Amino acid sequence: MDHPQLKELVGEASHALARLDTRRLEELALCCQALNRDLSPANSATRADDARQAREAAGEMAAFAGIMEATRANLNVMKRLRELRTGRLEYGGEQIRHWTGSESGNGNH
Amino acid sequence: MGTISSAFDMISGALNADQSALSIVANNVANANTPGYTAETPNWRQNDPIQINGVQYGDGVTETGATSMRDSVLSARLDQQQQLASASGARLTALDSVQALFTPDSGSSSSTAGDIGNDVTSFFSSFSSLEAQPTNNSLREEVLTSASTLAGDISNAAASLSSQRSALDQEASGVTSQVNSLTSSIAQLNQQIQSTSPNADAGTLEDQRQEDLSQLSQLIGINQVKTENNGLAVTTTSGQLLVSESSSFQLTSGSVNGATHFFVGTTDITSQLSAGGGELGGYLTARDQDIPNALTSLDQLAYGISTSVNQLNNTGSDLTGNTGTAANPLYIFNEPTQVAGSALGMAVTMTDPSQIAAAGAGMGTGDNSNAVAIAALGNESLMGVSNGSTPTGFFSNFVSTLGATVSGVQAENTAQNASVTQLQTQNSALTEVNLNDEAAAMSTLESSYQAASQVFTMLNTLIASALNLGDQTTVA
Repeated sequence: MDHPQLKELVGEASHALARLDTRRLEELALCCQALNRDLSPANSATRADDARQAREAAGEMAAFAGIMEATRANLNVMKRLRELRTGRLEYGGEQIRHWTGSESGNGNH
Repeated sequence: MGTISSAFDMISGALNADQSALSIVANNVANANTPGYTAETPNWRQNDPIQINGVQYGDGVTETGATSMRDSVLSARLDQQQQLASASGARLTALDSVQALFTPDSGSSSSTAGDIGNDVTSFFSSFSSLEAQPTNNSLREEVLTSASTLAGDISNAAASLSSQRSALDQEASGVTSQVNSLTSSIAQLNQQIQSTSPNADAGTLEDQRQEDLSQLSQLIGINQVKTENNGLAVTTTSGQLLVSESSSFQLTSGSVNGATHFFVGTTDITSQLSAGGGELGGYLTARDQDIPNALTSLDQLAYGISTSVNQLNNTGSDLTGNTGTAANPLYIFNEPTQVAGSALGMAVTMTDPSQIAAAGAGMGTGDNSNAVAIAALGNESLMGVSNGSTPTGFFSNFVSTLGATVSGVQAENTAQNASVTQLQTQNSALTEVNLNDEAAAMSTLESSYQAASQVFTMLNTLIASALNLGDQTTVA
């Protein structure tokens, strides 16, 4: 593979996800697509190096997987909070009651 | 009965409410850079209707205070992740020190444990050398030198591990006063909040309490339980009460079998704190789990080598034709009485190289059969170890397992810190900006997750392909 070491690439993806840097992650996705294309069974000269890099990236992949898992959990928490807050705005709250109440009066609010 | 002044009251009430809201906005701006400050939004309360000549007019509004846009669920999640990140961070620091002990000397760096794996190989090789010339004194001295290096490195490693354990013990002990200071502060804030603002948000006071909770989360694992009138109870993750309303329960420490233990009242909660998280959890896990595991492995290695080598040397003939007796055993190493403590006590007791029993009993001093047998111990199962590893294999497994543990905790810590970073970003969005911006922040979280999922899938494929291509048996 004629590219930065695989473990550096995985580490970069972990950092981008921690920073929620979507643009960088999209760039890395394109980079990975290119790498997958370049990985050729016919190129026996690089096979051993590719395998070495893959083995060395195992720890970084474990960290990346952990960050993915944590992000998914965080996303779930945020979604639930969003639902709660949106629901409160739509169906309750002092402000809504105020507007509803004033409609029954003379509109002077 | 309504009057003109009532109408003015209604209007001025609205103006006052606006003014009050402006104050809150100004407060937000002034505190924009204050750590832990939570932006506030005004609360509007509907006033009683005003009756003028039997007709109900409007109801006006009154500003009733401010509700900090904090969200207890998100704060609790952030605190929880901080607890985990702090625990793995503290444990990782300790594990790095342990691992450094078993990293062979290189360049300017040096390890007090030297290179135990190499020492083991050299020791048994010295007996292989002695096989060829069993009466050669310099080769006999070489055996004792290599034995001394091996014993010294193992003993130094055990001593260093014990020192690291003591240092962790002190670190853990030091956390107690910080925890007590924070729980006292939270209890006082509880009292202030409950007395001044039992039914509404207490703004700055709640920010202070949240800041204290955040700091406490970094020290120990806690659970938070909201109580009546804006009160808060704080327990350890195992449920031991630390703060209830305006009361705090002090954490105390005392020595139990040479290690600091932690108590609330008379209850020993050390093991609960160890599993609970925070820095203290990390320190205790390293002190009570990681370092003892490393010490146990070293003890097994030292015990196995010492007893098996001593046993064989004691039954052979030394250079003067003597064999060991109960009164005068021919021991090369200190003979351990039990596995525990073998590493720390490992030392070479033999000072005269002629006492090395290279010959079999009664075989004459030129015989080498016992030297062959002792050299062969290097390729046999280590005595007292159930998995059948050779001494070098056992040590290699120990170092590999330690490395895997460090690597696992490193990955865990990276993920937890990343999670904390994400949550802090989300928390900022929640407390500092409006609902639309909050939605945008969540959208960023979602799109980042989706993009990362793509990257992860492709990397996974890439790695699997690279491994498969590099594995000749698979390719064939």
